Amino acid sequence: MTERRVKIKSRVGLHARPAALFVQTAAKAPMEVTVGRDGNDPVNAKSILAVLGLDAHHGEEVTLTAVGDGAEELLNTLEGILTEEEPEHA
Amino acid sequence: MTRVLSPVAGRAIGLAGVPDPVFAQAMVGPGTAVDPVRAAGRAIAPVTGRIVKLHPHAYVVVDDEDHGVLVHLGIETVKLKGRGFALLAAEGDEVNAGEPVVAWDPVAVEAAGRSPICAVVALDADGGALTRVRADGPVHQGTELFTWV
Repeated sequence: MTERRVKIKSRVGLHARPAALFVQTAAKAPMEVTVGRDGNDPVNAKSILAVLGLDAHHGEEVTLTAVGDGAEELLNTLEGILTEEEPEHA
Repeated sequence: MTRVLSPVAGRAIGLAGVPDPVFAQAMVGPGTAVDPVRAAGRAIAPVTGRIVKLHPHAYVVVDDEDHGVLVHLGIETVKLKGRGFALLAAEGDEVNAGEPVVAWDPVAVEAAGRSPICAVVALDADGGALTRVRADGPVHQGTELFTWV
């Protein structure tokens, strides 16, 4: 299992556009992918319902996990989505 | 099968009419949108179930079929930080379809420079799972917007 700690830099947190992109990307992967907040059970990263329910905010850290071939690349892409800082006026 | 009701009165315009590509391109999920009447009102629960997430500007209700419906009151209204919105229920509450969840004022949202258009989205649904999607014409609060099978 590949695990990654990521600090959310998106100002809106893991909501709206970053959340939708995150879930779309995870859903395309063949393997199981989870995202978790400290103190909570990790949730299915392929479910927009689960990810919105996670309610992770700007500045918080989440833990991503994926299993199997391509896990490292997938987590790189997901990390990129969470660390993209949209412009203030967007 | 889940019947999803309009949280507000107004005019159905379909997701394509939402001035935010995240919704317009159905990235969040399939559904529709309503351009609300410009009057203060109380947005209702679109289905009977549990409020799993409640923000001033958006909420998610999950029914007993595990169908989660997102109601997003206005576009980019997260940036209003709750101003002009009042919660009438609490996260975790069980609500009946039609029960008020958030009091808000589309006029105030518009005055603050945001679109008051409301997106109503079926979370984790395939596009083909929705039938009888209302994408135009006037709707009352509580009018069925789509059926989720």
